[in-house]
Amino acid sequence: MSSWYEEIDPERKNIICSKVRLARNWDEYVFPARLSEESAKEMIGRLCEGLKDIDGQLGRRYDIVDLSQLGELKLRTLREKRVLNSSIIKKKGPMAMILSEGEDVSLVFNGMDHIRIQVLKAGFHMQEAWKEASQLDDFVNARFSYAYDEKYGYLTSYPTNVGTGMRAAVIVHLPSLSLGKKFPSLISDMGRFGVSIRGVYGEGRENYGALYEVSNQKTMGQTEPEFVGLVEKVAGQLDEQENQVRMMALKSHRLVREDEIYKSYGVLKYARRLSHKEAMSYLSQLLAGAADGLIRFAEPRSIFQLMLGIQTASLQSLSERPLDKGELDVVRAEYLRKQLPELV
Amino acid sequence: MLCERCKIREANIQYTEVINGSRTEHHFCAQCARDLDFGQYSALFDGEFPFAEFLSALLGGETPAKKQEKYQQIVCPTCGMTYEEFVKNSCFGCADCYGVFDVLIHDNIKQIQGSDCHKGKKPLYQNTDGDPEVVPEAGEPAAQASAEEQIRSLERKLRDALRKEEYETAAWCRDRIRDLKEGKTSDV
Repeated sequence: MSSWYEEIDPERKNIICSKVRLARNWDEYVFPARLSEESAKEMIGRLCEGLKDIDGQLGRRYDIVDLSQLGELKLRTLREKRVLNSSIIKKKGPMAMILSEGEDVSLVFNGMDHIRIQVLKAGFHMQEAWKEASQLDDFVNARFSYAYDEKYGYLTSYPTNVGTGMRAAVIVHLPSLSLGKKFPSLISDMGRFGVSIRGVYGEGRENYGALYEVSNQKTMGQTEPEFVGLVEKVAGQLDEQENQVRMMALKSHRLVREDEIYKSYGVLKYARRLSHKEAMSYLSQLLAGAADGLIRFAEPRSIFQLMLGIQTASLQSLSERPLDKGELDVVRAEYLRKQLPELV
Repeated sequence: MLCERCKIREANIQYTEVINGSRTEHHFCAQCARDLDFGQYSALFDGEFPFAEFLSALLGGETPAKKQEKYQQIVCPTCGMTYEEFVKNSCFGCADCYGVFDVLIHDNIKQIQGSDCHKGKKPLYQNTDGDPEVVPEAGEPAAQASAEEQIRSLERKLRDALRKEEYETAAWCRDRIRDLKEGKTSDV
């Protein structure tokens, strides 16, 4: 079975993926921060036992993964693939997960909250992601009673998640829009609409790969479909604006753009050493080029999948011994030479 | 950009000095900024700016010291979380904390969330311990009992079943409730 990130959305090529996660707590236990190791183990055992008939839900097959036994590298790889979030990785103590075969649906137990349901989808499919997450939520709820309050809604460890417990997020690729002078102020203005936008890769003010995550800032006061709609609207707008800017550039500077894209392809295909920053920038060029039909591959290939593949933990897990930065650059170039599809 | 003082760490503080109309810009890292004298602004650089502490300050309200003195004694009986601990970590210990600290956190949740009232999805199944309603004899609902009453009794039975982890009974109740609800809407 193929993983979710191998797919491409032919309609909205700048929109990489959609994600909905729900934070839930079982009303029989105190929240993970105060839960003893013993009780946590017992709770995880009961959750896994109660959900053992999950196979077939949302038309998928699932496996139980003991996260506390997995080791740091595996956890970081799962983080890079967006299955886990960074706070879960830092957390100590017993943790488990039910993960679908395609790594798109996951239920994490005893992370920040007792149950974290997440549905990931390639492309722009927020409504479906919400519908599936909600369906799975009902499936879990039929077996375990949630901590819920008429006024505050679903009760969560952090007051920033209380209410719906939902975070809806979309990753958009904005290589041209993000070059604009007004882009930083656009990002900060988005807070007023109740959404936040942040760079996915990069350090400090730099963003490698021009990937941005749009998500709802608040979790209370509006219904889940309203929050989903909000994120959808903003992401859709950004996608359209990005397309407009790119089409304008294409009309006036087609040759320049083609040149940039093919040079990027050449470097990625033949380089012997590639830093994370370099590789991400060239892949970003390729992603935009493929979306605009300026470069055509012999076989359909998700560039985003390659972007996931060149992250540190993923590359590290290809090797049997720990790699230093210089060695990683070599392995990264090697990986890309092998994985990059031929041109037509 | 690197810090102009230590030239090791990334500069994340930009300091613009205007003396007699001539303007100079400096870039320092947080550590160096702490060692330098910025007069009244020095306090700003006393430490990093961690989000958790920022949130804690928000949760603790405008006069945390005053409030804390008064409320420090409040402890959640279920999980043992004190108000002080809650403000420090911005993290609840259990579901009951919301009730225990309600008066203290109400306004802050409103500030963070822009609302203090949940709209949206409700759980389909929920334990409600101490339900004061009288439970009719299970298994033989009165023939003339309205669909609503039947649903209510089934929901209670469902909750009991869930508590005892009798999932088959629970599933049966759930399906029965769904049937009744669908029947009811088609009647109208």
